[in-house]
Amino acid sequence: MVLNLRDKLKAVDNAAGRTAAAKKTFTDCWHKTSLHPLEEFPHAFHLSPETLMLMQGEDMPPDLDPRRILYLDTETTGLSGGAGTVAFEIGLGYLTDEGFVIQQLVMRDYPEERYMLSRTAALLEDFDVICTFNGKSFDIPLLRDRLIMNRMDATVLDLPHIDLLHIARRVFKLRLKRCNLAHLEEAVLGMPRTDDLPGSEAPQRFFSYLKTGAFDLLIPVLEHNEQDVASLCVLLGHMAHMYEAPEEQKHEEDLFSMGVALEKLHHHEEAQRCYRLSSFGKMRSQGQLHLAAACRRCGNKREAVSLWEDMARRKEGGIVPLIELAKYYEHTARDIPKAMTLTRQAMMMLAEPKLAMDDKTVQEQRNAVQYRYKRLKEKLSKLKE
Amino acid sequence: MDYNQYSFYDGVIWMNVDQLANRLRNDNLFMENVVRWEVLPAREAAYADFPDALDKRLLPVLQKRGIHRLYTHQAHSIRATAEGKDVVVVTPTASGKTMCYNLPVLSSILNNDDARALYLFPTKALSADQVSELYELIEEMGVNIKTYTYDGDTPAAARRAVRQAGHIVVTNPDMLHSGILPHHTKWVKLFENLKYIVIDEIHTYRGVFGSNLANVLRRLMRLCEFYGSKPQFILCSATIANPKELAETLIGRPVELIDDNGAPMGIRHFVFYNPPVINRQLGIRKGVIPEARAISTMLLKNGIQAITFARSRLTVEVLTRYLKDEVRDPLGNAGRVRGYRGGYLPTERREIERGLRAGQVDAVVSTNALELGIDIGALDACVLCGYPGTIASAWQQAGRAGRRKETSIVFFIASSAAVDQYIITHPDYFLHQSPENALLNPDNLYVLLSHFKCSAFELPFEDGDRFGNTPAPDELMEYLADSGILRHVDGRYHWSAEDFPASEISLRSAASENFLIVDITDPAKHRIIGEMDRFTAPMLLHENAIYMHEAQQYQVEKLDFDACKAFIRRVDVGYYTDADLNISLGLLDIEQQQERTDGSRRLLTEVKVTSLVTMFKKIKFDTHETLGFGHVRLPETTMHTTAVMWTLPEKLTAQFDNDTLQCGMLAVANLLRIVAPLYLMCSPQDVAVVYQVKSPMTDEPTLILYDNCPGGVGLAHKAYSMQNMLMEKALEIASDCPCPYGCPSCTGPVGEIGDQGKVAAIRLLKGMLEAEA
Repeated sequence: MVLNLRDKLKAVDNAAGRTAAAKKTFTDCWHKTSLHPLEEFPHAFHLSPETLMLMQGEDMPPDLDPRRILYLDTETTGLSGGAGTVAFEIGLGYLTDEGFVIQQLVMRDYPEERYMLSRTAALLEDFDVICTFNGKSFDIPLLRDRLIMNRMDATVLDLPHIDLLHIARRVFKLRLKRCNLAHLEEAVLGMPRTDDLPGSEAPQRFFSYLKTGAFDLLIPVLEHNEQDVASLCVLLGHMAHMYEAPEEQKHEEDLFSMGVALEKLHHHEEAQRCYRLSSFGKMRSQGQLHLAAACRRCGNKREAVSLWEDMARRKEGGIVPLIELAKYYEHTARDIPKAMTLTRQAMMMLAEPKLAMDDKTVQEQRNAVQYRYKRLKEKLSKLKE
Repeated sequence: MDYNQYSFYDGVIWMNVDQLANRLRNDNLFMENVVRWEVLPAREAAYADFPDALDKRLLPVLQKRGIHRLYTHQAHSIRATAEGKDVVVVTPTASGKTMCYNLPVLSSILNNDDARALYLFPTKALSADQVSELYELIEEMGVNIKTYTYDGDTPAAARRAVRQAGHIVVTNPDMLHSGILPHHTKWVKLFENLKYIVIDEIHTYRGVFGSNLANVLRRLMRLCEFYGSKPQFILCSATIANPKELAETLIGRPVELIDDNGAPMGIRHFVFYNPPVINRQLGIRKGVIPEARAISTMLLKNGIQAITFARSRLTVEVLTRYLKDEVRDPLGNAGRVRGYRGGYLPTERREIERGLRAGQVDAVVSTNALELGIDIGALDACVLCGYPGTIASAWQQAGRAGRRKETSIVFFIASSAAVDQYIITHPDYFLHQSPENALLNPDNLYVLLSHFKCSAFELPFEDGDRFGNTPAPDELMEYLADSGILRHVDGRYHWSAEDFPASEISLRSAASENFLIVDITDPAKHRIIGEMDRFTAPMLLHENAIYMHEAQQYQVEKLDFDACKAFIRRVDVGYYTDADLNISLGLLDIEQQQERTDGSRRLLTEVKVTSLVTMFKKIKFDTHETLGFGHVRLPETTMHTTAVMWTLPEKLTAQFDNDTLQCGMLAVANLLRIVAPLYLMCSPQDVAVVYQVKSPMTDEPTLILYDNCPGGVGLAHKAYSMQNMLMEKALEIASDCPCPYGCPSCTGPVGEIGDQGKVAAIRLLKGMLEAEA
C-alpha cells in the first residue's frame, strides 16, 4: 500500500480542500489515483470465466479479461437508503499490467456530485464486469438512484455483477459465522486491519468535513475505502483459487460449504469433489452423507451404496445411511428381508435412551421408521403369497 | 327486561321493516318517547348516456353487469375528467361512487398503455375491497391492466413488479409517505407517467391526518414536476358541508364539484327517540345503553339485519355482550352478533365484514370504524346509540341502512348528554343544517416542517422553489440550513444528515408508536389480540383496567410504557372500569390579544397541554353504580397546541364568592362544550374547554378553549375570530332551558355545578357580553 498517503493528502487539502465550501464555482470533483504492486494480488490474473460461473452461476462474458473487471466500493452519507442518501466517495479499482490501479473520487460539496458520477460513468464504459461487496443491494442501487436524481443515464450500471458478499457468505458462513469484509480479510486472507475507521463512522466524518472544511477528516475514510477496494480484488482471486484448487484448502467446513454451493448451482461433479475433500475431521459424516446423496442423484448408485454401507458399518451419520440403504435394497436390489434388517437397525438406533424421548423430530423419525418397517413387512408377506 | 313493556316485543312473530315500522307507530308506549318520525321519501334514479370519453371496450363489460346507462354523477365525473379538470365527487353511501374514478382511469389506460394511476385509501381494508372490484372489471374485459396493492403487507418479492409494471397502484397515505416518496427513484415509471391520483373518503382527512396528507401531496407533486408528469385528481367524499374547500385545501388547487347524485334510494324511516325522564328534578333520563339494547334486540329477534353504532369502544363491548346473551344457545348462535372496532386484528375484521355481506351476521355493534366505505353491503336497520358528535358522521352511519329498493329504518337514541339533547329537541336543525366543515391546516408548523424535511430529503430545494402554496418556503429552507440539516450551496439546499426523516412522522397522530395488547392467560402461548394508540392507552390499558375485546373481559396486569406493551389476562367480573383524565396547561406564547372596555382580555395563544390519568372507577354492569376506585401511576403525555382564552373582568367576578364563581365558571365551560362544536363545525373531541378560577397564565379567572391536536388545525383561530358569538349562544341555551338550576342539557346537573351554578353562569355570560372591544 502507499505509505505516505496522509502527507500527500495534507498537501492537497491545503491547496483545495479547505476552500471547497467557500468556492462558488464547481468544475470537477476531488480525485486521486494510486498504483499498487501486483505481488499483493496473487491470484488476480488467473480468473477464468468458467471459475466465475462455478462461483455464482450467472452468465459472465465468455472471453472475460481480468483487466476488464471494475472493483467498486462507495462511502455514503447514510445507510438507510432513500433519495436523500448520497455517495460522497466512490472508490474504483482495476488491474493493469503495471499494477492494481485505485481511483478515488470525492465530492467536496454537493455540486461536485455530478462530476464524480460522470467520471464513474465514463470509466464504466471501459469495463465488462463490476465486482463489489454487498453492491447488489447497496452500492449499485444507490448509484443508480444518484444517476437518476442527476438526470444522467443509469444504464451504464447494467453490467454483469460479481457480489463477493454472497459468494463469500456461501463458503465461509459455516466456519466464520460473521462475513463482513474486514473479518474476511483477517480470517481468510490473513491481512488484519489496524487503525481502521469503522465504515459506520464515515457519514459523520463527511458532515463534519462539510461544516469545517477540514479535508483531513476524510483521510481515514479514504484509507478505509482504499483498503476495501484492494481487498475486493484479493478476495476474488483467493476465492477463485479455492474453487480451482479445492485440494489445497485445509478447512473442511469451507470445502463442505463449497460443495453445497456448487450443488445448488448444478455443478455436480465439482460438488462431489468438494464433498469428498471435506469428508474428514468434524465434517466427516456430513460430507459423506452429502456426497452419497449427490452420487445417488447423478445415478451413481454403486458409489452411493458403498458410502452408506461404510457409514453404517462405522455407525456414522445416524439413521440416514440405514434408511437410504433400506430404500436401495427395497426398490433396486429387491431384497426385502435385507431392507427390513436395516430398518430394524434404524429403529434400534432411535430407541437409544440417550436420545431425548420427547424430542419432536426424534418422535417423528420413530414414527416414520416404524411405518416403513410395517409396510415392508406387509410387502414381504404379499410376496410370499 | 325493559323492552317487554313494549307490545311489539313478543319474540315470535317475524316482521319485515315495513311491518315493524307500522306496528311501532301504533304503539303508544313507544311513541311517547318518539320526538319525531321522519319519513325520507324514495328517490328515483337519474340516468345519463355513456359519455363519448368512455372507452368503448368498457361498454360490454358494464352491460354484462346490467349497467346500460350511468347515473348522472358518474357521467358528469367522466366528462369533467376528460376535459382535464380535477374533480371532487360527493355522494352518499352505495351510489356507485367507485365508477366515478374507475371508469376514467381504465379508459385512460386502455388508450395509453404507459399511463399510470395512483389510488389512495385511508385504510388497508378499503384498498383490499377496491382492488378486488377493479380486478373483476379488468378480468371481464380480458385486457392486461395490472393493478397492485402496495402496502405493508406486500411481500418483498412482489414489490419490484409493482414498481415496474403496475398500471394502477393502490396504497394508503402512510405507505406513500414512508414507502414510496422517499424511494421515488425506484418508481420512475410511475412518476413519469402518472395521469390520475384518486383519493377516496377525503372527508376522513381532516385535522392532523388531513394536514399531513396535504403535505404528502405537496411532496408528491414536487416529484411529479421533477419527472415531468402532470397528474389530475379525482377525489371522493361523503357528505360534508365543504367538500370543495376541503378538496382544494388538500391538493392546493381548484376542483370541480360533482354532487348531482343520480342513484335511487328506497324509503327511509328516521326515528328520533328520546329515552324517558326518570328524575325530573335532576333532569336525568333513562340510559342510552339499555334503550339501544332493547331496540337492537327487537331487530335481532325479528331477523332484521342491523348495525348499532356506539360512541366508545367500551359501549361497543357492553352492548355486544348483551346482544350475544339474547341469542346465545348451544348451536353457537351467539356468533350471529359481532362487535367491531379499532383494535381488532385485520383478519378478524375481514371475517366480520364477510359475515355481514353473506348474511351470516345479523347484528353488528360498532364504533365509527365501520362508518368508512368498507363494503359490508346495505343493511335493513341502523341504531345510533347516542349522537356520534357530528352531523356528517350521523348521516354516514345512518347511511349504512338503506337499500336501493326496500325500506330501511334508522333509530337515533339520544343520551342525556347536552349535545344529544340539543339535537333531539331540534330535529329540524339535524335534518336541515348542512353538515360540518372538515377543517385542516396544511401550514400547521409542526406538520409542515416535518414534511418539508422529507421533501428536501427526496429532492433538493432550489432557491425560489415553492412547496405547494405554503407561504415563505424560503424561510423554512434557511431555518433548516441554519440548523445544519440542509446545506445551501450553489443555489440548492441539499439534505445533509444521516437520518431518514419520513420515519419520524406518523400521519394519524402525534405519537408514532402503537401499544400492543398481549393476552397472557395461557402462559405457554402469549397472543397479541390488538393494538392501541399512545394517547388512548393510558385511559384504557392502565394497570387493573378491565379491557374488553369481543365481549370477553380481560384485566390489565402490566402496562409496559417503554416497550409499548400491555399484558392482559382473561377474567370474568361483574364490572367495567372508567379512567379519569387530568389536564393542565402552560402558556408558551401570545399570538394576538384584545383588551376590552372592562379590562378583560381575549387572547389567542400557544399552550402546552399536559394530560395525566390518575385514577379509575369500577362500574357495575346493568345498574352502572360505582363499586370503587383505584389509582393509576403512569407518565404524563404532553402536546403543544393553540388556545383561545377569555379572562373575566374583575368588576364582574368580585360580585361572587369563590365557590359560586367556581360553580359558575364550570357551568359556562359546560355550555361552551356544547356550543363550540356546533358553531365551529367540528366534532366534540376536536376541541377542549377548561376553566381556571385563578389562572397562572393570566393571573385572572379564565376560560380556555383549545385545539385538541398537536399544533392545532385552526379551531382556536376560528373561535377567536368569532368575537362574542360563542358566549351569546351559550347564554341562549342556558336561558332557553326550562330547568331552574341546571340539567345535563344545558349547564350540567345540579349535582355537578351546585344550586347556584346556573344562575351564576347566566350572570357571568351577561356580564362578559356587556363590555365592548
